[in-house]
Amino acid sequence: MTKKLLFAFFLMYASLCSQAQTTDTANDWLGELKVGIRVQKTQKLYWENGFAADFTSPKIINNKLHLGFSYVTSRLGSAMGTNAIKQDNYVVNFGYFFRDQKKLQPFTRINTGFFYADYESDIFDELPNTALLFSLDAGISYRLKAPITFHLSAGYNFTSGSGDQGPGTLYPIYYQMSIFYTILNKK
Amino acid sequence: MSTTYLNFKFILICSLLFTCCSSNPEIDNATMLDGDQIFDASLYNPAQYLVSKAIDNPSAIQKNMPVIIAVHGYSAATFEWDEFRTYSNANADILISQVLLGGHGRTYEEFKKSTWRDWQEPIMTEYNALIAKGYTNINFAGSSTACPLVLDLIQKGAITDNGMKNIFLIDPIVIPADKLLTLIGFVGPMLGYFESTNTATEENYYYHFRPQETLNELMDLIDKVRKNLQNGYRLPLGTQMKVYKSIKDDTADAVSAVLIYKGLKKQDGSAIEVEMIDSNLHVFTRLDGRDTVTQKDRDMQKQVFDDMLQLLQQ
Repeated sequence: MTKKLLFAFFLMYASLCSQAQTTDTANDWLGELKVGIRVQKTQKLYWENGFAADFTSPKIINNKLHLGFSYVTSRLGSAMGTNAIKQDNYVVNFGYFFRDQKKLQPFTRINTGFFYADYESDIFDELPNTALLFSLDAGISYRLKAPITFHLSAGYNFTSGSGDQGPGTLYPIYYQMSIFYTILNKK
Repeated sequence: MSTTYLNFKFILICSLLFTCCSSNPEIDNATMLDGDQIFDASLYNPAQYLVSKAIDNPSAIQKNMPVIIAVHGYSAATFEWDEFRTYSNANADILISQVLLGGHGRTYEEFKKSTWRDWQEPIMTEYNALIAKGYTNINFAGSSTACPLVLDLIQKGAITDNGMKNIFLIDPIVIPADKLLTLIGFVGPMLGYFESTNTATEENYYYHFRPQETLNELMDLIDKVRKNLQNGYRLPLGTQMKVYKSIKDDTADAVSAVLIYKGLKKQDGSAIEVEMIDSNLHVFTRLDGRDTVTQKDRDMQKQVFDDMLQLLQQ
C-alpha cells in the first residue's frame, strides 16, 4: 500500500518535471532553493540533527508544493560522545504549503526515505537495523525579512519498530525544527 | 499472559473516538489476581520464598552457597520464577529468594497506587537482609522489568563491590516493543486502565488490568535507565553480568540488549556477556501457563537454566 502510494506520487512528479523541461527554460522552472539545519527530537528517544534542503518551482502548483531532502542522525545528536545508538535518516519529502505569499505558512508533508542503525557488534547481526521510512508531518513555516525561514512541525512515522519487525530505535512520534537560508529566489 | 501485553494502537483509536474517562474495571474477584481474594503465594508464606526468612541462623556452609535473588517483571508475580526453582532444586545446590515486587501480587488498587520505586524496594530489602546474615555468594536473576530495576540499583551504587557475583537478565526491557507506550502520558488519563489477555492459569498470577498510572511509572523507569545507559556506567567490582534476550519479543524490544551491551561495562571496562535467543516469547524462561509451548521452547529454557546454574557454581 505504502509502496504503491509512493510510486504513484513519483510518477506524478516525474510527469510534471518532464512537461516543464520540454516546454520551458530552466530559468522558468526555478522558484526558491533553501538550505539549512534540522533538529529532530523523537518522543522519548533521541535528538537527531543534520541538514535539509527545500525547493519550490512556479511550475509546480505555483510554489505551493515543496520538494525537500534531509539527513538527520543521532551521530550529530544524542550519540555524540555517548552510548546512544548511531542511526541515520535519509528523507525526501513533498510538502504542500498554504498561504503562499504570507510570512506564516501552515504546511503538511509526506516523507519517505531510508533508516539505518549501527549496532556496532556482530552479536546483534540478526536484529533488523534498516527500514523504509514513511511518515506524515504538519507544522508552520515562518519567513523573516532576512532570507531566513523557520519550520516547526510534528510528525508520525508509520514504520516504527514493533519488536517483531523493524529497528527497535525507530520511534513513531517526532518533532522537528529547521532553519533555512535562501540561496536562490526567483519567485 | 499473552505476549502481546498491550494493544496500544487499538486503544489509541478508541481514545480518539470516545475521549472519555474510564471508571474502575470490573474485576472478577474469584478468578483474577486483581481482586481481593487471590494474592501472591509469597505473601501467605514468605519463608517458602525468601532465604532471609527461611533460615534464621545460616551455617558457614550455607553462607557460602550461591543465593540467587529471582525477580519477576511488571504486572507479574513470583510465579515467573517457579520453574527455575523447580529445575534448580533438582539439578543444583543453591538457595533461591523469589522476591515479589512492591505493589504486585495484591489488589488492583494497591498496584495502581504503587510507583516503580515501590516495586524496587523489596529487592534491596532482601539483598540487605542476606548481607546482614552473612551470605557471601549473592546473585541476581531478573526478568523483564526486574532488569531495569536492578540496572538502576547498580547505577545508583546500591550494589556494593563484591556484593553480587552474577547478574542474569532475561528479556530486559529498556526499549518497549510497542512504541505507542511513549504516548501513555497523553492517552492514559483518558482511558484509566488497559486490559491484557491472559490464559486461565495466568489470570491467577498476572494482573488482568493495568492501571495507566503504573504504565506511566514503567515508562519513567525505562526512560531513566535508557538515559543512564546512554551516559554509561560500570558494574561493581567482582560482579559478572549475562543478558539473555529473545530476538523477537513483542513486549521488550530486542534492541534493549544493544543498549545494555553498549552502556554497561564490567569494572575493568570489558564488555558484558549477551546471548541472543532464537525465541519469540517474552520471558522465554517462563513456559507454564502459556497456551502454546513447543519442544524448542523447552530446550531453550533448559539450555539457559543450565548455563545460569553452571555460572552460579563456578
